[in-house]
Amino acid sequence: MTTLVNGEIGETATRPATTRGQGDWVVVAGQESRDLWLSGRGPLLLFAFSVLLSVFTYLAATNRAINFLEQREAVDQTLQIAIAVGVLVTLLVSADAISGERERGTLESLLLAPVSRRAIVIGKLVAALTLWFAAFVVSVPYVWVLGHGVSIVRTALLLGLGVGTLLAVGLAAFGLLISALCSSNKVSLAISFFLLLAFFAPSQLPGGLPKGWFGDVLGKISPVGSGLHYSTAVLVHGHGWTRDLVYLISPLVLAVLASAALLILSERIVRLTAGGER
Amino acid sequence: MKTRRGLAIAALAVLAAFAAAGETPAAAQSANGIEVTVDQPRITAVIGDRITIGAHVTNSGSTASDPLIAHLNVASLTGTYVDLEDWTAAPTQHVQPVDAHATTALSWEIQAVNAGRFDVYVAVLPNGLTSSGSGPAVASSPVEVTVAGKRTLNAGGSLPVVIAVPLILGGAALAARLRLRRR
Repeated sequence: MTTLVNGEIGETATRPATTRGQGDWVVVAGQESRDLWLSGRGPLLLFAFSVLLSVFTYLAATNRAINFLEQREAVDQTLQIAIAVGVLVTLLVSADAISGERERGTLESLLLAPVSRRAIVIGKLVAALTLWFAAFVVSVPYVWVLGHGVSIVRTALLLGLGVGTLLAVGLAAFGLLISALCSSNKVSLAISFFLLLAFFAPSQLPGGLPKGWFGDVLGKISPVGSGLHYSTAVLVHGHGWTRDLVYLISPLVLAVLASAALLILSERIVRLTAGGER
Repeated sequence: MKTRRGLAIAALAVLAAFAAAGETPAAAQSANGIEVTVDQPRITAVIGDRITIGAHVTNSGSTASDPLIAHLNVASLTGTYVDLEDWTAAPTQHVQPVDAHATTALSWEIQAVNAGRFDVYVAVLPNGLTSSGSGPAVASSPVEVTVAGKRTLNAGGSLPVVIAVPLILGGAALAARLRLRRR
């Protein structure tokens, strides 16, 4: 929720119209981030996230029968959990960003602020992404604990940052689009969650199951599944960074298309009522 | 009397066994003129090392061989469970027909994923139109691979992280909640 009266948005109202536009999204992003982190929502989500990673890391560390390759797989699994859950919370926060403000009755004051609607969505996108970056920072010590003995910490962290950021940008932009278009917050959250599950599904098919060309295509067009596949190929199978780059196409396409659609459509879809005239 | 005779027979049996062992050095088997040999008898490594196993398939017959299948296998000498897929993603190689009196070089890159002593060997099978599935299999002498372990993960080492991180973040979340309530 972005406040108008005491927040910085309120201060921008006194600025001349000629200075508006550039940098307004920074003000919105700052206000939204403060709202996310100081309201306790962000810290609470990160706490739950860290408990999940702690349980998984401890289970892997107490397994005395784990071999060298399985330890690399444990690092990969931890990274996958970090990416998946980090991206999930980012998506849910962005799916709540506009429809939630509508339902809480705070969108009107935000729309009255002297900032463009494009600046509003960029600011909200950046604020949602802070959650992903915080989740990534939290996952660093866990990856280090599991991976330092098998010398893959640096590779794992670079992979996590690259693949995770690509997915987080795409899904957060997608979540904002859904949030702007949905008439109710519940619908927005439900659609976003369902889409994330659908994106995950191909990566959960049993490895030994013959998939054929359709399975291969499905695996490559699912942004989350293909991103995680790329991470496993580099981290566990020791493939070079460029060998499986084809798997990064769909996360990249999602990030570019969703962000572009959000920026282009923002003036039309960020309204008091979804599909309304105002 | 019976005990003495039994001891004498046992001693003879042992001597015969030693003599037999001395007569058969660790040579590769041969069938239909196909013989497979490995490049080195033993390798020492540390867990996680990548090792290259080199082998040569020789056709000492007078005609070209059928197409062949060469399969690398890992057998534990210390009872460690071996999952071959963990050691190499491609244990089987298809070998083109080997000309008479010719040799084909093969190699596998494997990763030592378990600590212990292992015998790594190559088995070669015919895979021609008529010979496929009928054998005989020819095995190389083993490469004795000794893998030294190193403890890379322990529960005690992970405890500070798995306890401290949630504690710090839980404290931060609680502080944020309390701060909101005071307002």
